[in-house]
Amino acid sequence: MKKIKLKGLEMDVYTETLKNGFEVYLLPYANKKNYFMSYATRFGSTTTTFTPNDSNKEVSVPAGIAHFLEHKMFEQEDGVDPFTYYSESGTGANASTSYDNTQYICYGTKNFSENLRYLLHYVNHPYYTDENVSKEKGIITEELKMYEDIPEWQLEIKLRENIYHVHPRRVDLGGSVESIQKITKEDLYLCHRNFYVPNNMFLLIVGHFDPEVALKIVHEQLDSVPSIEKPKVKKIKEPKSVRMKEKTIFASVGTPKVGFGIKVPIKDFSSYDDLTLDLYLSMITTIIFGSSSLFRERVRNQKLLNSFYTEWETVEDYRVFYIIASTSDPEQLVHEIKEELQNFVIFEDSFTRMKKVWIANEVRIMDSIDAVVRNIYDDIIHYKKIIPDKMEQIRNLDFEQLNQIASKIDFKNMAIVQLLDEDKADKTKKSTKKKPMK
Amino acid sequence: MKYTKKDLGAYRLHLIETDKFKTVTVRVSFREPIKKEEITLRNILCDMFTQSSKKYRSKRALTIKAQDLYAADIQTSNSRLGNYINTDFYLAVLNDKYTEPGNFKESLQFLSEIIFHPDVEGGKFREDKLDIVKSACRNSLQSLKEDTANYCLLRLFEAFDSSVPSSFRMMGYLEDIDSITTERLYQYYQHMIQTNLVDIFVIGDIDKEQVISLVREKFPIKTLKKQRVPYLLPDKKPRRNRLFAKETIDSLQTKIAIACRSYGLSDYERNYPLTLYNIILGGGDDSKLFQDVREKNSLCYSIYSVPNKLDHVILIRAGIDKENYKKAIDVIEGDLSDMCKGNFSEEDVKIAKEYFNTALEEVEEQEARIINNYYMMELLGTDDIDEKRKKMALVSKEEIVKVAKKIKMDTVFCLEGVKHEED
Repeated sequence: MKKIKLKGLEMDVYTETLKNGFEVYLLPYANKKNYFMSYATRFGSTTTTFTPNDSNKEVSVPAGIAHFLEHKMFEQEDGVDPFTYYSESGTGANASTSYDNTQYICYGTKNFSENLRYLLHYVNHPYYTDENVSKEKGIITEELKMYEDIPEWQLEIKLRENIYHVHPRRVDLGGSVESIQKITKEDLYLCHRNFYVPNNMFLLIVGHFDPEVALKIVHEQLDSVPSIEKPKVKKIKEPKSVRMKEKTIFASVGTPKVGFGIKVPIKDFSSYDDLTLDLYLSMITTIIFGSSSLFRERVRNQKLLNSFYTEWETVEDYRVFYIIASTSDPEQLVHEIKEELQNFVIFEDSFTRMKKVWIANEVRIMDSIDAVVRNIYDDIIHYKKIIPDKMEQIRNLDFEQLNQIASKIDFKNMAIVQLLDEDKADKTKKSTKKKPMK
Repeated sequence: MKYTKKDLGAYRLHLIETDKFKTVTVRVSFREPIKKEEITLRNILCDMFTQSSKKYRSKRALTIKAQDLYAADIQTSNSRLGNYINTDFYLAVLNDKYTEPGNFKESLQFLSEIIFHPDVEGGKFREDKLDIVKSACRNSLQSLKEDTANYCLLRLFEAFDSSVPSSFRMMGYLEDIDSITTERLYQYYQHMIQTNLVDIFVIGDIDKEQVISLVREKFPIKTLKKQRVPYLLPDKKPRRNRLFAKETIDSLQTKIAIACRSYGLSDYERNYPLTLYNIILGGGDDSKLFQDVREKNSLCYSIYSVPNKLDHVILIRAGIDKENYKKAIDVIEGDLSDMCKGNFSEEDVKIAKEYFNTALEEVEEQEARIINNYYMMELLGTDDIDEKRKKMALVSKEEIVKVAKKIKMDTVFCLEGVKHEED
């Protein structure tokens, strides 16, 4: 077991990789009562076409299968479902699927060893029948409809469709009501067999526990599970441009929404490692669009903002910067954002202040186990390791380099989607209908 | 963790000393009996505090100041506590150990600046800032129906009993916005500062005496007030004939919200057996509602229940397909009736207690929850965590059934999703 010091935080992470490739990350706290564990696979919604490890033939499975599989892990052959098991010790359990990973979590204050043992057991023991697969379709259909009723969700889906030409992020991570109907128990077993394997998975535990005890349980449960040759997933050749630059969609909304997606090819920045580049990119957009930016002050004073948030998305060869806003004047806000992207200036005092904020936040999040888990989990997914010196890396960011990177980003390579109220659209629709169709 | 309460005349100061956290958290809570016609006004006032202050004349200036204090986090919020409206000012900042000496003191000064030195000239707030806040408020209220689950809840409580504060919309009312002027807002601000009941909480690795003298200095509230109105809403009998209300909305999913009324519960029953009742019915991860409505009948993705104890309500919420409405109500009714008949096991009670104990232990891991726990002890005289643990362990199944019999499904609101097809 390797001990890694988290610099500046007075904490240690213990790591080990089993012979079969399974990775373990343990971060014990001395002054907490609770713990949080996450057992994860690097298999998410975007993997729907692959060549299974025991075959030469490429197969395609229905969209939404990773999420469906996640739901179905909660059905076990012995009839005891994991929710029931965990609730007996007052432990919480859940799972979530993302584009490139799926995690199974449990959190509580008691029964640590049994709960860990059970977590490592149940996720490795799928039990799919025609009947239980069919039953889940009703539940997931309601989940998909719930999300589809959220206007911002629709906007983001449409935005991804317009940013990506071929990348599977174009498809909603839950699939569609139609695609999930096609899922069979055989599809589920196939995915489980190929992607829920030790060399594609890891375990992260944070909070009150003994790392020695945890590691012993991991060895007992997983040493005998063989690694497999990973299934082949074809590399996606996603073009540099966005698929469609501007699009307007309609739904029943009280306030219009606008979404921007700026597509940044990382090969333009090949002299930087992923983490350094991500820190710089994120710093640039925080200074331009963050809560203390001149831009925000300007659009606020014009009463253009109802809500506003930004985020970066990581895919193989690209980073995509999203802006999602709700505004009473979409035209004007789009204009303001475009202007800002072309004319922004970064001042050194903002840069210095944001560094201070980021470093302070690295310390602050240590108070919350949930936040620490999220942070470390993201690092493991994106960088495939723990980042023990993040504060130092932030401190080392350089103003000249920041400006260089900012000047190299093509801020015109973007997709814009506006979501307007359909009542206003009806008039337009009617007028187009009058035109002869043939 | 060491708790000290200090009566400073005009307000009570609660100090919670613990080395568990790297941050120090401060909460200043103002409260008064709620009036429907003042909710929008108070929401707007609440947002004005973070728009600008006398010293920091814009939101950007305020944000920059907070960032300079090593990312101090300042937030305001309004909520309803039974018959009261409650406004919280919240500050979380790294302990000086991780920043520099004097940073906490300056952060507290900053919070005090925001509360006691608003951006007021000649007896009124600034017109331009009020316009910004009003505009955002108007947009949010116009978008009310976009969050169908929340909208369904508002409509449920209006149908349930429009004469009590649980029917008030805490987001405010569109029609109240126009009449809010800069002068009126300032008058209301003075009213809040001078007449509201106040509690201040500080939690973290703190020097008690230093914090007491700092708070005395920075929070110059002088007026003495008395509480006259109880927190609990009036305890009313459930209606004879259940009310089914319905409205349609342009969405794929249908939301249902059900208010069950409890009647005649003692304080003990409300705090203990009712809590277990709710965990078994729909509060836990493995509740009856989850098992029966979702897992056995595949009718929904999400379903749960939650007790609004001060309102005498147990609320049940779900998202379903409209075709399954009747079936879902039948299954839910079956579960409520099972609770009355005692159709749950001793094991279920034991599991609910475990669930509660874990939740209690988790309270002690988060500053906001610890503060809330002490706030409820102060306001409602609830027990402390140890006492809660002890009393809950002794609750019997019979006591839960007794509570179940005092709970009736009262009002069902169905927000029916109707997607108009594009032709």
